[in-house]
Amino acid sequence: MKPKTLNSKRELALELLKPGDDSKLLTSLNSCVRCGLCADSCMFYKALKEAKFIPSAKVDLVSSLYRRYYTTTGKIAPKLFGAKELDDKMEESMIDLLFGACTMCGRCVKHCSIGVDIPYVVRRGREMLAVMNMVPQSLQSTVDAAINTGNNMAIPEDEFVDTIKWMEEELIDEMGDENARIPLNEFDKEVFYTLNPREPKFFPLSISAIAKVFYAAGESWTLSSKFYDVTNYGFFNGNKVEAAQIAGYLYDEIKNLRGKRLILGECGHGSRAHRWEGPNYLKKSYDFDNITVVELIGEYIRSGRIKLDKSLVNEKHTIHDPCNLVRNGGLMKEVRFVVESSVSDITEMTPYGEDNFCCGGGGGALAMSEYNDRRLKIGEIKANQIKATGAKIVITPCHNCVDQLLQINHTYKLGVTIKTIAEVVADALVISK
Amino acid sequence: MAKLEIDGRVFDVDGDGFLSEPGIWNSEVAALIAKADGIETLNDKHWSVIKIIRDNFEANGNAPMIRKICQETGLKLREIYELFPLGPARGACKIAGLPKPDGCV
Repeated sequence: MKPKTLNSKRELALELLKPGDDSKLLTSLNSCVRCGLCADSCMFYKALKEAKFIPSAKVDLVSSLYRRYYTTTGKIAPKLFGAKELDDKMEESMIDLLFGACTMCGRCVKHCSIGVDIPYVVRRGREMLAVMNMVPQSLQSTVDAAINTGNNMAIPEDEFVDTIKWMEEELIDEMGDENARIPLNEFDKEVFYTLNPREPKFFPLSISAIAKVFYAAGESWTLSSKFYDVTNYGFFNGNKVEAAQIAGYLYDEIKNLRGKRLILGECGHGSRAHRWEGPNYLKKSYDFDNITVVELIGEYIRSGRIKLDKSLVNEKHTIHDPCNLVRNGGLMKEVRFVVESSVSDITEMTPYGEDNFCCGGGGGALAMSEYNDRRLKIGEIKANQIKATGAKIVITPCHNCVDQLLQINHTYKLGVTIKTIAEVVADALVISK
Repeated sequence: MAKLEIDGRVFDVDGDGFLSEPGIWNSEVAALIAKADGIETLNDKHWSVIKIIRDNFEANGNAPMIRKICQETGLKLREIYELFPLGPARGACKIAGLPKPDGCV
């Protein structure tokens, strides 16, 4: 049974499934047997209890297309082999489930009996939707802002500079030292630092916190006033050309300012997109250090460049592990080393670390208003985890998680405070003068 | 398009509860949105923040930087976060009738 003739956009989308040199994709598409072990690993299925939310069902959307267009059995007897056409109904399901019901947190991968990289398949599905211009508008708008202005909140450069100067004045005041600076556009610095635009726009306390840490460490550092945005929503919208353009902004700017180390601010997906995907997007290896600020702070503590007194804050803390830094980024121990050096009372969530639940706002979900209801419903799982710890302060090294946690704090009346790692480290600093 | 019903009034909103038509906003609408978010009464400090956000939106089409809000109201950052527990974006901008800002908010 021959597939129906396709329009050119659908043809382009299906090209992305064509068997070629992507053995990872082919292995994943061919090996999921829909055993369903992944079901209980997924927040969407756990919270909403519909079969369509099971991770293997999301994989099946993509693999059924692969079978229909690229396997002999699927071409001859589609019904028998679970092969499906790329039609309006399929597109609708793909948008709804691959954009609207997956934070690409990767918890399912850890629970898959054969290790299928489910978010990788979801990402390919999103790439297919991207070539068909079917990215949810709210998500695309965040990417467009980054492409057109250099930052995802379209902050004009002069307003960014005013904010940094404002934070600098406060820092000079607090430290009582004219040398407590937040340098802008300086050349040949050891550290080229990056921010999530929500920091200068709405939540600048984390900027003053990290500036305080750099001051205590005597770091030689700078921010760029043009390209400081650590996020890369091109990682989520499935458009690799746009992802590469955004990654290129930071790459070109660190070269321009001749910075020695690219230090990725507290942003889960941004760290992943620049550190692990950046060289792939740009097809070149980076000849500068490309690490997260959590690791940099870890260096300071180990080498004695900063001194911390963890008895300064006595409240009960817990840690929320951002998926892209911990499960998918290998920072579980480093996050704990830094937090345990800064606060004394920590109770872990159950589960935590590599098996931790997503905040519920990952994968671009926070930007996609279309799926707000689902995002808050799955957030209840995280809310219950936090409640069970009895903690008053939740620490997380990701601004996207911070925002989702703020919302579930409000929705589920948790009564907690959310802090970044820079903030808890800054609060524990012992600065000798 | 979603609907938000507060005290018998129905508004068209996006999935996050931001007004779909910022033009229908007035102080009564602000008070209703605030109520839906758990702020029973808007005090003078709330209003000073809301006014700056709204004026900036009408002049420039976007939300002001938090620096501008702090400097023009004379409020401290932490006060603003206390006044609007959902933060300046999901809290204050929503009450001021703006569309949801892009990015991680």
